[in-house]
Parts: sequence; C-alpha cells; structure tokens
Amino acid sequence: MRALALVGVIALAFGLGSFYATRELTAFAFSNLAAGALALAAAAGLALRRLRFAAGSHSRRVLLRGLLGVVAALALATLLERAATWSGLRGDLTFEQSFELAPATLKALAELPGELTATLYHDRFDPRTRNTRLLLASLAEAGPVKVRERLLTDSPEELDRFEIASSNTVVLELGSRFETVERPLEATLYEALYRLRSRSNGVIGVLRGEGEGDVSSVAELGFSGLAAALATEGYQVRSLVTASLAEIPDDLDAVLLLAPRRALLPGSLAALERYLERGGRLVALLEPGAQSGVEALLDRWGIQAPDGVIIDPASGASSEGAPGVDPIAYHYESHPLSRGLNPDRMTFFAGARPLVLHNVGPGDSVRRVVLASPSSWVTQDLSVLARPRKALAPDGARQDYHVIAAAGRYPRAGGEARIVVIGDSDFASNRYLRALYNLDLALNAVHWAVERESEITLRPKLRTPKQFPLPIQNTLRTFHGVGLMVPELLLVAGGLVWLRRRQA
Amino acid sequence: MTALRALMRKELASLFGTPTAYLALSTVALVTALIFFDHLRLYNQILFVYASATMGGFASDSVPDYVNLWDSVFFPVMETLGLTLIGIVPLITMRVFAEERARGTDELLLTTRLGPGQIVLAKFAVTYLFVTLTMAVSFLYPALAIEQGGLGLEHLAAVFLGLTLHGIGLASIGLLCSAFTSSQLVAAVAAWAAAFLLWDLSWASSFVGDRVAALLDALSIQPRYSSFAGGVVTLANVIYFMGLALVSFAAARFSFDLRRVSG
Repeated sequence: MRALALVGVIALAFGLGSFYATRELTAFAFSNLAAGALALAAAAGLALRRLRFAAGSHSRRVLLRGLLGVVAALALATLLERAATWSGLRGDLTFEQSFELAPATLKALAELPGELTATLYHDRFDPRTRNTRLLLASLAEAGPVKVRERLLTDSPEELDRFEIASSNTVVLELGSRFETVERPLEATLYEALYRLRSRSNGVIGVLRGEGEGDVSSVAELGFSGLAAALATEGYQVRSLVTASLAEIPDDLDAVLLLAPRRALLPGSLAALERYLERGGRLVALLEPGAQSGVEALLDRWGIQAPDGVIIDPASGASSEGAPGVDPIAYHYESHPLSRGLNPDRMTFFAGARPLVLHNVGPGDSVRRVVLASPSSWVTQDLSVLARPRKALAPDGARQDYHVIAAAGRYPRAGGEARIVVIGDSDFASNRYLRALYNLDLALNAVHWAVERESEITLRPKLRTPKQFPLPIQNTLRTFHGVGLMVPELLLVAGGLVWLRRRQA
Repeated sequence: MTALRALMRKELASLFGTPTAYLALSTVALVTALIFFDHLRLYNQILFVYASATMGGFASDSVPDYVNLWDSVFFPVMETLGLTLIGIVPLITMRVFAEERARGTDELLLTTRLGPGQIVLAKFAVTYLFVTLTMAVSFLYPALAIEQGGLGLEHLAAVFLGLTLHGIGLASIGLLCSAFTSSQLVAAVAAWAAAFLLWDLSWASSFVGDRVAALLDALSIQPRYSSFAGGVVTLANVIYFMGLALVSFAAARFSFDLRRVSG
C-alpha cells in the first residue's frame, strides 16, 4: 500500500510539474497523471480495507457524527463562498485604482441592450493578460458581460475576422457587431462599448475659416481628439465655412466655436445671432487676445469676455508662461454641466480668458460653472503667456473667484437657446484633452448644450501603471538593515536553540 | 479556557523550542528580501534602458505598460514566495499531530479536560499564528522599500494578505495530513502532493464540460491567489481560504473519532 502511494505521489508530481512548466497536457503529463491517480486510488482502497472498526452502534454514531461535521463544514464553506461571490464585495488596493470602474463605464454597461461577449486573445505567456483578466472580471461583475479567452494559435480564422494583430487584444461582440480593442484599458473598452451602442446624439456644426481650431488636425494643438470623442459619444461633426455662411442650418443640434483668431464676417455673426434667437445652442471656446466679434455677441447674451489672462498663483509654475498662467481649476458651481466634478477632480486650462456675467432679459439665466481659485487675478498684459517671469498683481488688482466657464439658458419662442462659454480652447486640444477631467468638461458642455443631460458623466481615465524608478541605492540601507539582518538574527537564534537542545 | 490557553502555550514553546521554526522564518524572510531586491533592481534597469534609449524620460509613452511595479516586482515575488511556502509550510505542520501520535502523547492529551475539538483548535491556532508571524517578518523589507519610494502600502498589503491566506491554506492542508498519520515524512509528502494538486486544476479542464471546468477553477488555489497579487482583495477569495481552514479543521477533528473507533 505504501509503495503504491509513493509511486502515485511521484507520478502525480511529475505529471503536474510537466503541465505547469509547459501549460500543455502532453502525453508524458497525461500518462503520469493517470498512473498517479490510479496508484493513489488503489492505495486508498487498500488502506480502507485495512481499517478495522470496532463493532457496535456507539462507534457508528461517533463516526457518523464526525463525518456529518466534515460535511457541514464543507457545506458552510461552499455556502459562504457562493454568497461572497454573489455579493461581489471587493477592495481595489492598486496604486491607480485600476479596477474601480468609472461612472460612465457603469452607465454604458447598464444600458447594454443584450449580453456582451468579451473575448481576450492572447499568447500563452503574455504577462499583460493578468491585468486584462482582472479588468474584464470587473466588467463582468458590473454588467451583462460574458468573458472568454482564446489562444492566438487556436483561432486563426477569428484573428482574420477581427483583424487581431497582437496578443492581449480584446474583442467586444454585441449581436452581430464587434469592436476590436488592441490596448485593453478601461478607457479604451469604454469607448468601444459606446461605439457598439451606436446611439445617435445629434449633429454638431463646427465653424471654420477664421483661424478656428481644426477638428481634423492631429497636431498637439489640433482638435482631432475632441472630434473623435464627440463621434464616440454619438455626435456627427459637420464643418460650417463661415465665409459662405448665410444661415445656420436648423438640423444642427449645436454649434461649436473653437477660438477664432480673426474677426468673423458680420454676416456670419448675424447668422449665429439669428440661430440663437430661434433657440439654437452654442458652445464657444475663447482665447485671450483674440477679437473675433463673437465677444460682442456673447455680451448681448449676458456673458462678457474682457481681454486679459487669469493668473492663479494657487496653480503654480507653468512650463512656458508666468507662474499661475495655466490655472488648474477645482472650484465648480452646482450646475448640471459640472455634475461629478469636485475639488478632487480638477480641470487644466492653458491660459484662460476671464468671463464676467451680467443679467439680460427676463427669464434668461446665466450661471458660473468653473472658477479659478479665490487668490486669482486678471492681467491685461498678454506677454505673461509666453514669458516665464513672475507676474505681480498690480495695485488694486481684484483677487477673487474669476470665472473660467459659464453657461446660460434663454427661453425663446422657437425653443430654449443654450450657450456654454469657456475662456480657453487649449484645454480641449489634443495636448490637454486627456489631462485631468478636461475631456469630461468638454463633452459634458456639449451634452448640456444639446439638452442631453442624462449623458453627462465622468469617463474612465487613460491611466498607465506606475512607471517611475525606485532606485535601489535609496533602499540599500534598508536591504542590509532589515532585509538581510532580520533573517540573519533569526538564523542565529535557531542555531542557539539547536545547540541548547544538543547539550540538554 | 485555561486549559486551552495552556495547550496553546505548550504548542508555541514546542514550536520555538526547535530550530525548524527559526529556519523557516529566516528562509522565508531571506527569500522575500533577495527576490524583492533582485526584481526591484531589474525593474529599475529596464526603466533606465527605456528612458535613455528614447530620450523621453520616465514619462515617455514608449515604456511598455507591463514594465511597472506590479508586473515586474510584486507579481514575480508573490509567485516565487507562493511556491516557497508550498515547500516550507508542510515542514512546519508535519510534526504537529503526527509527532504526538507517534509518541502516544495524544492519548495523554485526551485525558485532560480538553476535548478533541479544543486540541485541534489550539494546534491550528498556533500554526496560523506562526504563518502570520512569518509573513509579517517578510513584509518588513518590501514595505520599508516601497515607503521610502513615496508610494502607498495598500497594494503591497494586498499582496501580503494573499500570501498570508495562502500560507494559512497550506497550513490547513498540512495539519490535515498530519492528523491522519503518525509518520512526519508521510504527512509532509502528502501535504506537498495535495497542495501541488490544488495549486491549479486547469489541467483537468480538457477532460470535462464547462461547468465542471468552472468548478475546478473555483477549487484551484492559483487563480484566487493571483487576484491578491493584482491588488484586488475579493471577499470570495478570502472566504475560500477561510473555508479551506474550516473544512481541514473539521476533518482533523474527525481523525480523532476515527482513531477512537478503529483498532
């Protein structure tokens, strides 16, 4: 019996060892596992035959009670484990909170029209899949998501169909539609989810022709990222050339004005004003120093944009301009547009023009949304944007919560006009769109303007894991003092115990 | 209660009266420190190579995602330590019941006011205490190193919680094996075999249907354990290791009944 058990254990160990090393059930592994299992079963059978139980009902009762105890413990453990799995309770202790899903992802999962299949295609030893597996498990816990895995080598026809080029690629399938995500992070999976829903939120007209930001430019200060984000959220982006603009089309859901550098033609401004009077929606991003004529139009709608730059000393040094010239805003007024934003969720602006609000017609309301810190002040000296010298507050400069973004509602006969004005356009450029909560502010401004408040949310961030060095020179003393000395002392203690036992 | 405390004190004295306990403590702490230091050095070297090759510094997008503290340091350390514990914990647990049985002192224990359940409880509690102490000692150096780097300890704490629970699971298996034999060698070998078998049951998935494969996956230690390495503490995974301890406790208790009625 013992010989059989010994052979069984050794065979089983080698079978498992072979499997763990190659992750394949080869003939060697299989034969060892089978032989090991048979030998152990035979040894167990022989061991049972050798057991001699005392006869009598008392012995049977004792045994039965003991066995019942084991079964009860097993049942209790299974029950508790199932309940814990069902509860889904867990804590994300990662540095970046990588597996805490953003409200936007949870919302997108909740709105799925059917079961989503997420398939992870990977190489056998790709270390990146650990992260992806945990992320997919988070999605499966939060919504109707079925997670599968496929080895790249096992599914060549699927690689062609889904255009999979590398390991650690996730394919999301919803009905007959699919999205292939090559870098599966929460942000990229969320965007794929949104595209799969194929919801149309409307058409956004983007004015062009007077030096406005370019939604097709992939340059750092271009706005292709904003256009892509709008498309992801279901908006069709249409260009409107100001030179030939006689009237803003009524089928537009909103007009997006990206900081024109030159003056708009009077005809274009008049068309924009008529559009607003008909209940149109405008999202205007301005820049310090530019005079396009839109400023006068906005003034008539209760939002004045005096030329100047907000200096916010609380935001610290800037890479190009004077310290405080790039305000990091963390003061938000209570407004649907800023829902979810709080002092921990900041927005970054690269040179912001101040806004001053004043009352207009009865029924109209203009509200502050994003503010610089109370120590901020405004300077008319635009050279601070380019020179990294310290900008000093001139005598009599008013330090206050200066308005960076504002929103207005204007009931008109044709419908409610809505205007959102933000004193900076760079915050939504390719360079800064993904910084802090800028993307959320930009997209939520559009959602609010087109009266789709239900779409206002906070989106997952493109976080990369901690990748800065932890120089070992800094921890060398700890390594010697704790890492090596503690085991050394323990070994000395063990040696002394051994010697004492020998002498005793 | 006094008798239970006295038995626990006796078990502790017996554990630390042998060099094995110190050797185990020292080995686990040393292996942890060496592996952690080595992986930290390798991680820094890779980062510096990428940063200098691209001239983009450490904020460069060209550093691959998988070069990070979690994938490059925490996970390999946890993987190696997990296997180290499989090797070491059965050496600690093998003597707990088997030695008493071989010497016949278990009969003496049963003549005290303590029932079999309390005897098993005392031995399990002392072994778990030892496993926790081992992991606490091993945690010291990585924790200080991470703290000096200005990082929070939460992720590392999750890793060591996983290691402690893994150690408790292994100790439970080892104690169970020790309870059914009077040979320390058999107890250790059986514990190694059982732990090795339970580590990852996915090899059997190709022979069974999806449901049984899912059950085997739920029974495997490795998938539960690697979730902690990822920094995610799931209640279900904590309960899994606690459940393993509970079932082992009940089965070890049953071994006393079996002994009473068998010849």
